[in-house]
Amino acid sequence: MTQHHPDSHSLMEYSAGNLSDPHALCIRLHLDQCDHCQSRVDTLDSLGAVLMEQQASVSVSADMFDHILARLNDEPEIPPMAVNKAGNALERLVQSDINDLPWKRQLADVSVLDISHLFPDQPEKVVLQKLAAGGKAPAHTHRGQETTIVLQGAFSDHKGVFNQWDFVVLDQEDTHKPIALEGPDCITLSVLSAPLKLTGTFTRLLNPFIS
Amino acid sequence: MTNSIRAIKATTGDRSVSTPNSTPNRADGKKDPWSQLLEKVGKSQDRQAYKALFEHFGPQIKYYAMANGLASHAEELVQEVFVSIWRRSCLYDWRKAAASTWIFTIARNQRIDILRKLKRTNAEITIETEDLWQIPGENDNEPVTSLHRLMAERRIRESLRHLPEEQVTVIAKVYMENKSHQTVANELNIPLGTVKSRVRLALGKLKVILQDQNT
Repeated sequence: MTQHHPDSHSLMEYSAGNLSDPHALCIRLHLDQCDHCQSRVDTLDSLGAVLMEQQASVSVSADMFDHILARLNDEPEIPPMAVNKAGNALERLVQSDINDLPWKRQLADVSVLDISHLFPDQPEKVVLQKLAAGGKAPAHTHRGQETTIVLQGAFSDHKGVFNQWDFVVLDQEDTHKPIALEGPDCITLSVLSAPLKLTGTFTRLLNPFIS
Repeated sequence: MTNSIRAIKATTGDRSVSTPNSTPNRADGKKDPWSQLLEKVGKSQDRQAYKALFEHFGPQIKYYAMANGLASHAEELVQEVFVSIWRRSCLYDWRKAAASTWIFTIARNQRIDILRKLKRTNAEITIETEDLWQIPGENDNEPVTSLHRLMAERRIRESLRHLPEEQVTVIAKVYMENKSHQTVANELNIPLGTVKSRVRLALGKLKVILQDQNT
């Protein structure tokens, strides 16, 4: 049972379709496992529908419906899209079990994998991180805003325990020293809202585990 | 087949059926007229029902595209949405979402798709829009029915009527013009905190905020 949820502003931006792909992925992974937030998003989707209905409307070309019918006739019988895809959106993206990825060890207990290249055209840095069960990360702060979702295992810091599918947003105000709980290694997905002026000195990964 | 469905069928093509008939059927938890029509498209490829949906939602979706800065792709968006509605209608389940909500999410996803295509450099797209943004009712894990969902639109329509204009303006900009809270703040020349508090007040009255920390 998740304890830490995205705030209503984020869910609304999600429902409106305004989030970048990496941020939408974090929300989606959480929604898949959190009925509570899913039901809030359902309500927000209905809000979008009501707003769309209450705004102006603009007439469409007289022949558009015929064009659509012609398209349906030309491209018939495309089977409905596959509904039950294997794994979650992240697993389909990295095409692997998250434990078997080519992790790069940075510290004794800490491994990382930068997957930003899977989100071309997106400015954010997207990083998977693994903190070995029982392992400690050094104390650190954050630059910029960082959104994290726990994919496996759990970690704790002074703010509490973050379990699988918990959602955390940290910024420069937050200093913490996470410790992975016993059990499976703790794996997280983090999206760092990249400040537009990234410089060469900004090369170290900034994430919940590493300064 | 219930009488109400037959009544809809009898009047399909009549202008009167295109009037948003938001309350009567919804009040007793039954399908609203648009959901009935959509279900007929899904079950029997009913082209008359499909046309009635097109006449009602097509112009709304065109405005949605234009408000979103997709003026030169507005008709393309309407077409894509309706082709998608036809192909997915067999998956539609009125117990999981009202037709208007379902269609809104398809319009949102198709808009994101068009934007991605326009923005794409030569990089291959690795993740599909629908892996990120879900169409309600297309997920196995969802509970089959929820009164909450069925009542959501009716409740929201009523609540919206009582919201102060300044709150409606802010949420309409987020939804209809796809502007971030920060952009809305810049446009209205008010602090980000004010935008957030208007959204928070509005969502509170719409009962979306059930539990929030640190916002």
